[in-house]
Amino acid sequence: MREVLEVNSPGLLTSIQDGGRPGWRRFGIPPGGAMDRGAWHTANRMLHNALDCPVLECLQGASLRVIEETAVATSGAWGALAWTARPGEIIEFPPSLAGVWHYLALPGGIEAAHFLGSASVCARAQIGTALVKGSRIACLGNPASTLPANVKCRHPIQLEDYSDAVDAMRVWPGPQWQAFDEAARRAFFGQVWHVSSHSDRTGYRLEGAPIAPPPGELVSEPVRVGSVQVPPNGQPVVTLHDGPTVGGYAKIALVDPADLDRLAQTRPGQSVRFTKIPGW
Amino acid sequence: MHRMTLTPYGPDAWLLRFAEQPGEAAYEAARAICRSLEAEPPPGLIEYVPGYTSVLLEFAAGTAPAGSPELKALPARLAKQLKQPAEPGPIREIPVVYDGPDLARVAEHAGLSAREVCELHAATLYRVALLGFAPGFPYLEGLDPKLHTPRLDTPRPKVDAGSVAIGGSHTGIYSVPGPGGWNLIGRTEIRLFDPVRACPGHEAEMCWLRMGDRVRFVPRGKG
Repeated sequence: MREVLEVNSPGLLTSIQDGGRPGWRRFGIPPGGAMDRGAWHTANRMLHNALDCPVLECLQGASLRVIEETAVATSGAWGALAWTARPGEIIEFPPSLAGVWHYLALPGGIEAAHFLGSASVCARAQIGTALVKGSRIACLGNPASTLPANVKCRHPIQLEDYSDAVDAMRVWPGPQWQAFDEAARRAFFGQVWHVSSHSDRTGYRLEGAPIAPPPGELVSEPVRVGSVQVPPNGQPVVTLHDGPTVGGYAKIALVDPADLDRLAQTRPGQSVRFTKIPGW
Repeated sequence: MHRMTLTPYGPDAWLLRFAEQPGEAAYEAARAICRSLEAEPPPGLIEYVPGYTSVLLEFAAGTAPAGSPELKALPARLAKQLKQPAEPGPIREIPVVYDGPDLARVAEHAGLSAREVCELHAATLYRVALLGFAPGFPYLEGLDPKLHTPRLDTPRPKVDAGSVAIGGSHTGIYSVPGPGGWNLIGRTEIRLFDPVRACPGHEAEMCWLRMGDRVRFVPRGKG
């Protein structure tokens, strides 16, 4: 185990993440884990790590200082890069037009405490803590072992990723779909929703023309990750990996698990729309 | 008895509704259903998550398609469980110092003295309907209607773990520190959620209360 990086600045948020800890929701523990599962896998794959190794998940503004020479791989909001980082080098994650969440993998995975089989930090549930200035990051593998010489960039991001095209998220009917009236259903699919800046690992708030939730109060019931809940103000909230395990708002739809990565990488102010999953 | 229904909830998941309203009957039904799911999980079940009147069933991909015989038979199988009288849930006593900053507010709203509020709060045997929202956070049922108190207009940015509180018609205990809008009436030393207690094979120990437990608050002096 070697300490190879130090946190210069955690930016908006820097924490250790892996695939989370599914299976404990009946105890109130959110499943958690990387917001962009595909990017988490990609970062590990570039270093020939097991795909489920813990990585760093960073928001914009994060800055890391290299203490010891090491292979690193980054992915997510930027596309994917792998290189050999030299002592003193600063790895920075400035705002990206193409996404929100950055991932950084180290050889053999990042050393971290595990709880219920996962290293994922879930600050809201008081499971682990986010990294702070001065936090040291160690890798479990040999820092120098995995990257061939002269390899720098394997999967540069494509220009199309910067486009303003509205992304369509495929959805399944939510448990209360039948309870929403025709106008609400039409409004849900018929408009473009903007991701609010009040969005985080627990959920993404959407802004648009409000849709009316069904009348009456709903008894709190279990909530799946990806649920599109409609609170009384009519502005939907998509529950994400660190969100509450139960909730009392009507759920009009559920974002298909395969589309959650793209939703997570949608920046505040950008737009999404919803489309029915084939077969609905 | 309520007829059990299965509502689809995205790929490979179903919401099984077993009661119309929360209450004693729903609590007993949820206990019986969870016990059965624990003892004899249907094929492919990955996880179950109880709510007040429903339980979420999540299956491995493709193992519980709509219309499969196993899935169709499940409501009837679980309904049978409800006919067997269950042992009452264990009673857990929670020592509380009733000195919360909102005790006076609750008392004023109820038209009672602070002392009467504490006595009334401690006189009820509560039911843990479910754990949720935060790790080990109990949804307690049975609060005396006289103590129902609206939530704070502005939630506190940080409430300590162990705070005993009233929010609307609910009472609960904050299991982890965090923001909260409930009226704080007291505090307990008991750690409702403690990851250190989650040894392999005994993970449930991380939560001091379990769904189905019954809870009595025992007033303590400030010492």
